[in-house]
Amino acid sequence: MSLNRRRFLQSSTLLLTGTTLSSCGWTLASVKPTPTRQGSADELYIYTWAGYTDDDLLQRFQEETGIRAVADVFDSNEAMLARLQASGGGDYSIIYPSDYMVQKMVELDLLLELDHGQIVGLDRLFPRFQNPVYDPHNRYSIPLSWGTTGLIYNRTQLSEPPQDWDYLWEHQGDLRKRITLLNDVREVIGATLRSLGYSYNSTDPEALEAAYEKLRALKPAIASFTSDAWRNQILTGDLMVAMCYAPDANEVMQENPDLQYVLPLSGSSLWGDALVIPRSAPNVAGAYAWMNFMLQPDIAAEICDRLSFATPNEQAFKQLPRRIRENVCLFPPEPAIGNCEGLIPIDETTSALYDRYWTQLTSG
Amino acid sequence: MLNPQPPLEKPSQPWLGLSILLGPPGLWLFLLLVLPTLIIVELSLVPNIHPGEVVNPSGLDNYFRVFDAINLRVLGRSLLFASGSTLLCLLLGFPVAYWIAQMSPPRWRNLLLLGFILPLWTSSLLRTYAWITILRPTGLLNTILTSLGLPALELLNRTPAVFIGMAYSYLPYMVLILYASLEKLDRELLEASADLGANPLETFWKVTIPQTFPGIAAASLLVFISGLGDFVDPELLGGASSMTISRLIYNQFLGASRNWGFGSALSTVLIVAVSVAIALLIKYGDRESI
Repeated sequence: MSLNRRRFLQSSTLLLTGTTLSSCGWTLASVKPTPTRQGSADELYIYTWAGYTDDDLLQRFQEETGIRAVADVFDSNEAMLARLQASGGGDYSIIYPSDYMVQKMVELDLLLELDHGQIVGLDRLFPRFQNPVYDPHNRYSIPLSWGTTGLIYNRTQLSEPPQDWDYLWEHQGDLRKRITLLNDVREVIGATLRSLGYSYNSTDPEALEAAYEKLRALKPAIASFTSDAWRNQILTGDLMVAMCYAPDANEVMQENPDLQYVLPLSGSSLWGDALVIPRSAPNVAGAYAWMNFMLQPDIAAEICDRLSFATPNEQAFKQLPRRIRENVCLFPPEPAIGNCEGLIPIDETTSALYDRYWTQLTSG
Repeated sequence: MLNPQPPLEKPSQPWLGLSILLGPPGLWLFLLLVLPTLIIVELSLVPNIHPGEVVNPSGLDNYFRVFDAINLRVLGRSLLFASGSTLLCLLLGFPVAYWIAQMSPPRWRNLLLLGFILPLWTSSLLRTYAWITILRPTGLLNTILTSLGLPALELLNRTPAVFIGMAYSYLPYMVLILYASLEKLDRELLEASADLGANPLETFWKVTIPQTFPGIAAASLLVFISGLGDFVDPELLGGASSMTISRLIYNQFLGASRNWGFGSALSTVLIVAVSVAIALLIKYGDRESI
């Protein structure tokens, strides 16, 4: 039975990918996603994060292009990739991975190289987004949004406002179980590395150990590692400081004006989500239409305002009302941004080290 | 000739009926349970496997890693959460089940049991979120405590919150199974015990407990097994130091580290542990009450 299964997987993999396998193994989840639906030119399936599309946007796209767009959401890059690799993503013609995931997907040969001749408006982007580190010259992806990671705090509860990561360590006596950090190993260790003067992407084992020890010292003050449960708890006053992504802070601050977002001075991660077309896309023409639609300055400006995320589109930025251009969550001040770094994928040994420290940190 | 009974007509092809009855669930079980489990066991034998790589079972490295001090500590915490909540459920559930089965007016019984099942009609995630609202520092519980002049309790994001959440989640199962077992309790034996001079405590230990032991074993093991795999309660209520084996497995498959081989080894260990528990359940438990 096991032999049959292997044979079946081997032959189907051979058939689909044309790769030769060693004689005794089968390949884990490498069956490339294939369209499960016959690609129809007037339907476009989009795989995105929650909050990046709404009915108005999909409606307008249909009015302009005649293509009916349907959006499905994922809640983590890893879950998206796992689904795609388990060949469950064959319907999608547009996917919204984050920067480091774009790089990974390129390495895994999952993405279509973009034909820039079919794309209008790449030159409308801020220069730094025209040649991002994770995808030089936007060969495979088009930046859609960007943001930073920082701290949100309640002005009325803290005697002095935090300006840098070290605030947490300096005031941890007053903050016992009143801090949450993100449930994200790279962000948490990265921020600690930055506070120690190392790069967010450091792979130096000594730097990592120093960061781990520093975090361990903060443990009594940390209520939990969470990427979303902090929202309610900071609104109700159960938390004083939370590490968070800027757009989330923006949303929560609208509910309580005493809450304030700060991008720590020594820098944090500068991240972005991008549009890509998977190799398995059933509707490539529709995917290009979506990219061109999203690059239109008025559309980019409109969703930047309505869905509240920072746009990398310079022309769109100029159209934005002042209250948004001066919003510190979406467009933080320059000096701190200059200290930010994009997360880049790390090698396997370092990844295992991160994982080990994370398990120790969350179980100790 | 005497032929009082006409011979029963035997089904001509017994296997046909059997395969119609057992075929679909058998296929379902095979494809969705047996096959995936075999794949997990096979994957667990490949060190450092990632999606897209050739599965080439080559050794027990992943299992050696499971027995790393840090992973044993995580496993230990899962066992602690599971056994602690089982004990809590038993302490809370037994008196209630006893009262419903033996002392409450019979016409109320179904209603009382329904009351215990009622919370199961809402999502478990929602019920856990409700506990956050109750237990948080400025939450319902502390509002009541401080208005009574009592000191506030720091429960959320600590171990007690996990025990509370898990005990709450599994109490209905405990009560239902214990009820089924206590309902069958032979009252005449209790009376005989009293007549022969045993005090109520002795009667309880020597007559009630032995009679209901299979039910207690079944309920406890069921709660223990569910607790061992609980993901939601430790994650949402336990705070910064609440890594459990199910969360560790999740991290290996969908988290940042992504080591499917190690995740499979952890899963296999969990599957084996739970299978042993189920084997004990079948041997000692009261199967009728489950």
